[in-house]
Amino acid sequence: MKSEFDGYAGRILEVDLTEGKTKRISLEWDVASKYIGGKGFAARVLYDHLPQGCDPFDPENLLVFAAGPLTGTLVPGSGRCIVSTKSPATGLWLDANCGGSFGPEMKMAGLDALIIKGKASSPVMILVDDEEVHLRDASDLWRKDTFSTHQWIKNKFGEEFRVACIGEAGEKRVRFASIISEARAFGRGGAGAVMGSKNLKAIAIRGHRPITIAHPEYFMKVCREAFNELAIHPDSGGGRQKYGTNTILSCMNEAGVHPVRNFQKGVFQGHSALNEEEIREFYVRNKACYGCPIYCSKISEVKSGKYKGAFVEGPEYENVWSFGAHCENADIPSIIQAEYLCDLYGLDAISTGNVIGFLMECMEKEVLEESDIGFPLRFGDDEGIIRSIHLIGRREGPGLLWGEGVKRIAKEVGKGSESFAIHVKGLEMPAYDPRGSTGIALAYATSDRGACHLRSWPIGAELLSAEERIDPFSIEFKAEFVKSQQDLFTIINSSVTCLFTIFSLSLRHIVQFLHSATGIESFSSSEEVLPSGERINNLVRLFNLREGLTKGDDTLPKRFLSEPLKDGPTRGRVVDLETMLKEYYFVRGWDEEGVPKPETLKKLGLP
Amino acid sequence: MIQIIPPLCTGCRICEIICSLTHESSIAPKQSRIRIQSNWPEEEQIHLCLACEPKSCVDACPEGALSWNGYLRIDQEKCTGCLLCKDACPYGGIQTENSKKFPFFCDTCQGEFQCVKWCPTKAVVKVE
Repeated sequence: MKSEFDGYAGRILEVDLTEGKTKRISLEWDVASKYIGGKGFAARVLYDHLPQGCDPFDPENLLVFAAGPLTGTLVPGSGRCIVSTKSPATGLWLDANCGGSFGPEMKMAGLDALIIKGKASSPVMILVDDEEVHLRDASDLWRKDTFSTHQWIKNKFGEEFRVACIGEAGEKRVRFASIISEARAFGRGGAGAVMGSKNLKAIAIRGHRPITIAHPEYFMKVCREAFNELAIHPDSGGGRQKYGTNTILSCMNEAGVHPVRNFQKGVFQGHSALNEEEIREFYVRNKACYGCPIYCSKISEVKSGKYKGAFVEGPEYENVWSFGAHCENADIPSIIQAEYLCDLYGLDAISTGNVIGFLMECMEKEVLEESDIGFPLRFGDDEGIIRSIHLIGRREGPGLLWGEGVKRIAKEVGKGSESFAIHVKGLEMPAYDPRGSTGIALAYATSDRGACHLRSWPIGAELLSAEERIDPFSIEFKAEFVKSQQDLFTIINSSVTCLFTIFSLSLRHIVQFLHSATGIESFSSSEEVLPSGERINNLVRLFNLREGLTKGDDTLPKRFLSEPLKDGPTRGRVVDLETMLKEYYFVRGWDEEGVPKPETLKKLGLP
Repeated sequence: MIQIIPPLCTGCRICEIICSLTHESSIAPKQSRIRIQSNWPEEEQIHLCLACEPKSCVDACPEGALSWNGYLRIDQEKCTGCLLCKDACPYGGIQTENSKKFPFFCDTCQGEFQCVKWCPTKAVVKVE
């Protein structure tokens, strides 16, 4: 049966775990043309169907896996898929994004999205085999790590199945549990814990349906041009292929934005032992997501020493930081082991490293004692990092509290620890110090899912771009920059393709991809596509406001507003957030409380 | 003809995508004539017709439906779908798919070798 859509699969699968029922519904034209897919589609679903004030662990919470019209196609970086839900970390909107092959396989099984609600009475998995959908008992899989879960499913049902599953951390509702697909993750914000709360261990998908393309020849031509652009760009065709995401490590350290000791310092003394060249020694081969010529993934293996056998797709820049400089640890094998364990337990490695660094500062400041933790967890203690991950993943002993994330740990521990609990809206912070980049400061404060570097990434323009460098310390024009980049990134996360291609490509390419793949007229020009990004971001804002977000939540931890760094190129600086935030609300067409004005909503056709 | 260098393969499957777009005008990696077997954490394997010398597929066909003229050809009148050719190929070069009645394989894209043109790491190359 040919779909009436090109690019899209045209259908959505709804699964009610409480009732044990599944249903296919058709994708609506209006939703596709105004919200594209992926994040935009999920925004419409959560806004329209999630009961206000629903607890993230309530069976009524929705878990939406969504691909987009570009997912699974020839568009470079099209191996991606998003998952969306109400986050247990923030109590607000969450979309997390994963590469690999899960999204493409979903499309080939004839699905643009999978909407899961309810809660199974015992552990289950969802098996989608083309037209057949089964809910199967997964009691044998409960407590299995994510790798064993993949092996079990592939052995039982076939190697071709693509899997997304949770580990023990998700089962035990660690608020930053991830969902793992092969060696990649829907990482941030705790979607794995929501999946665990539904007693859903895994989703396995296999499909044989073609994805139709509206204008195949034009589509191949624009893809070829994009491939050529990516191949000659120094990032996508150079550093990123050679070093993976670690390509920026030395630049970040030299700029003083690679945070050290839980954001207490800006320059890492261990850099000579922990940099992209040293990490590269552990790479054994290149790996790419479906449809990606950049192959920024590296397979690393520890071949000797106490962490022998650790094996990851990575380690990624963020995790090299979270278990490295953040914990003042320069031992690469321990970082690979840490990421390996996070993958097995299904933990977000950014938040996990953040929690451990925070605990280390608690020990340093004598807010916590050795008896609270069970061992002497000091900055630089690689074995302490590994022990902590096991405790968090299993939620054993003090790990029961640690699995709540830094915001809730600080609230429980008290004694002034809130002042160095580094998070925005409950989500722990990634690897860039806002005191060295006013852009990332505003991006963190205004991101819809809490401290996140992937809603807008001004770091590129402020600290890396060769052509269009903007001043990292100035607050001029940062509101406009962050707003427009957020809208662009949302279009990419709705299409769904990879953000790593956009530093070599532009909106023009995305529009050409969308138009040639779908043939939809409203995708024929940048002027028509760009408002979709703004529309989706405003809808997500309305969702967050409904869930209790206020202007006071659009902020940064005190450390960045009042504690200047004492070392490095950013020393002496703090963030003037208030001025930028005011401008940001203005350029967004929001009032002084951060609420979209009626005329802004009217212009975008919302709610 | 085509030579494969599996250690260079990153598992991106762009070859499968472009092969299906070229032959089917849609994206259907499972209808591709080149296949990447990718089962994490194992290394990728590349399967396609390598135009090998023995041509054991041609010999294996009991109906004489396969012949070689620049690339492998199939006489659909004669093929019974027994798939002995598939079993005989040591390279996994003969593909089947539920929606297709007959086995299918590399036809060189009329000498254009799209997989070679698009492979980002040159894991699939053309040799004279």
